[in-house]
Amino acid sequence: MPLPWEALIPFGLLTTMFAAAGTLLNTSKMAQNQGKRPRHNLDAWDDMMMDRDRRLTGHIRGQKSDTTPPPGFETSSKWYTESVE
Amino acid sequence: MTIYHAGDDSQARPYIDPTPLPDSIPKVQEIGTSSAPLKSAAFFIGAYCKDYNEDFMLCKQDAKGDPGACLKEGRKVTRCATDLINKMRENCLETFDKHWQCLELHNQEYYACRKDERALNKCMFEKLGLTKTIPGSPKGQTPIHDVAKPIYTTVQR
Repeated sequence: MPLPWEALIPFGLLTTMFAAAGTLLNTSKMAQNQGKRPRHNLDAWDDMMMDRDRRLTGHIRGQKSDTTPPPGFETSSKWYTESVE
Repeated sequence: MTIYHAGDDSQARPYIDPTPLPDSIPKVQEIGTSSAPLKSAAFFIGAYCKDYNEDFMLCKQDAKGDPGACLKEGRKVTRCATDLINKMRENCLETFDKHWQCLELHNQEYYACRKDERALNKCMFEKLGLTKTIPGSPKGQTPIHDVAKPIYTTVQR
């Protein structure tokens, strides 16, 4: 029985392309999240905290545990001045 | 109620509040700790600052929507939380860092970081005498952070 080896060429191409697409997307996502896995299942609180992290560290995924805020942190929140919807 | 909106990142300059607190109100340093360490410390803040937090919430309840009524209590809450985080960093820096870094890698979910959490809980109890208690958890049962083999872990079975 002859092996249909020619069918393996598109199979290999498809596998490579799916893998390339997945790897690229993963690399892009990780690069946007400072090398950490992206957040998921976010609610309004998480969004607010991530915006607070951005005000504290300059990036939404930046983290720091010391209690000294950067200068101007007190007045960098627009939370209080946003209109009520 | 004010609703939170995601910040407008397209703005070139960062936002500065045009109406900061007047100088007549005593200043308190805001907490500069970001979300993951705060989440890691949350139950210890709850244990350590219980009196101040309850004072603030009762004051808010009595204030009937007056935002300026509880500034004094609010400052106490801020100071207490800052104090606790500083103490945690002095006494349990290693376990604390490990736990919040684990949280940050796992979408800030407690269930994924029980091992680091137990190390932190142990250190916090030994050094500062604080225990993690989950409010409203059923009486007489092992709290979820102490269950040896929980059903829901990062590995699906």
